[in-house]
Amino acid sequence: MPKHILIVDDEAVIRELLESYLVQNGYRVTAAPSAHEAETVAGRDKPDLVITDLQLEDSDGLEMVARLKALLPDTPMILLTGVLFDSKVVREVLNKKVSAYIEKTAPLSRILEEIQRLTGK
Amino acid sequence: MKDRTIWKVFVFFILVIAVFAAAAVESVRGINRDAAGSDWVNHTHAVILENEGLRSDLFIADGAAHTFVSTGDDRDRRSCTEALSDVADHLEILAALTRVEPEQKEQVAKVATLVNHRSDFLRTLLTMRRSGDSAALRQMLADDAGQPELKEIQRAINTLKDDELGLLTERDKASFLQAQSTRWTVWSGVVLDILLLAGAAWLIRDDIAARGRAAAVLTEANEGLESRVRERTAELASANDKLRSENLERGWTNQGLEHQLRYNHLIINSINDLVFVLTKATNISRVNPAVVRLMGREAHELIHVPFLSVVRLVHVGLAPMLDPVAQAMNDGRDLRDQPAFVTDKLDRVTAVRMSLFPLRDRDKIVGAVVILQVAQPIESGNP
Repeated sequence: MPKHILIVDDEAVIRELLESYLVQNGYRVTAAPSAHEAETVAGRDKPDLVITDLQLEDSDGLEMVARLKALLPDTPMILLTGVLFDSKVVREVLNKKVSAYIEKTAPLSRILEEIQRLTGK
Repeated sequence: MKDRTIWKVFVFFILVIAVFAAAAVESVRGINRDAAGSDWVNHTHAVILENEGLRSDLFIADGAAHTFVSTGDDRDRRSCTEALSDVADHLEILAALTRVEPEQKEQVAKVATLVNHRSDFLRTLLTMRRSGDSAALRQMLADDAGQPELKEIQRAINTLKDDELGLLTERDKASFLQAQSTRWTVWSGVVLDILLLAGAAWLIRDDIAARGRAAAVLTEANEGLESRVRERTAELASANDKLRSENLERGWTNQGLEHQLRYNHLIINSINDLVFVLTKATNISRVNPAVVRLMGREAHELIHVPFLSVVRLVHVGLAPMLDPVAQAMNDGRDLRDQPAFVTDKLDRVTAVRMSLFPLRDRDKIVGAVVILQVAQPIESGNP
């Protein structure tokens, strides 16, 4: 049974590229363009991992993560953003809110490694 | 291989059929010869039986004649006459049986001559007895003392019989040899057919085995081919996956850079302060929308224009010998919160506070970023 990954990003290009790559690597992927739709999907079809952008059209990625945590307390969540934070911010702030922080400039293989690490596959 | 084997088997079966036909023909010929031999044997036995019948009836006639001579009983005379009649019948039959066999015909003719002479003698005896001519009768009997003629007839009949029996013996031998020959022919044909059929069976078995080996080799080759196809397909699929991954990775990198660039532009364009990017020669290379709004000039009108032609620094005391902007860039130091004026397209002047930050690319200064904060607008003319 392939692991279910929920991708949340307001940019279609990002969603499509990430979905194609993860599907090619054996994952089942659902892509949502907004926090609201992501929460709906998560309630209907529990994901094994959530990847979210920070800046969404209808919300803040970290706020959505906080709401999803209530619904999916054991599900790892990755913050994938183009907003670059320095390492201290990542260490002291972001790592307490999400399972991992990855910059959008990181290669897909790096994202895949992180997904494999967090999902155990 | 297939055609050659079929041809060989065909030849084998032709040979089997030929041998079978030859054996059958030979057997039929043997049967025909046996049938013909059987007819001949029956014929020979008929000659012997007639010969014996002739001998017997002749002796009966002879005995009856002599008895009649002694007794004068007419029954003996009739018995003699009947016996002589039978003798004549036997002779006639013998003549008919041997008419196509020259040697037997000659012997029968000799026997017939003797027998006819004896029959005539007996008839004469009978006639004389009935006529009562005793003297002549005695003379005839005396002449016949010891019955030499009858003995000669006996010898002739025996010779004929012995010859016929000899022929029968030879015929038996010939028949036996013929039967042996037929048996040998049939058994040889059977054995040869069995050998030929065994040869055909061996050929077929060999052909089947060869086909089996060829099929096994073909199967093995097919399996090898399928294996190589599977390996090649897996390699192609792997290469395709790798290529797709590389394409996705490239697309991801491009969008990341584009996103980053767009995001940086967004940040700069969102700033309300006037932002100029200068080249090392202090010409303007980029402005943000706040500059366009304040100065009433389009961005392209400002590009490559000397910075100090649109922004004037306020000097305290004497004007410096060197351009302070160029100097700061050369020195690699910031200028912070310097008073200055900006003149717009309509010659309106705005007081601003200027800060300059050199742009460092690794260890080189390649330009500068200038930020102007509006202090207060001045309606027109020089300050």
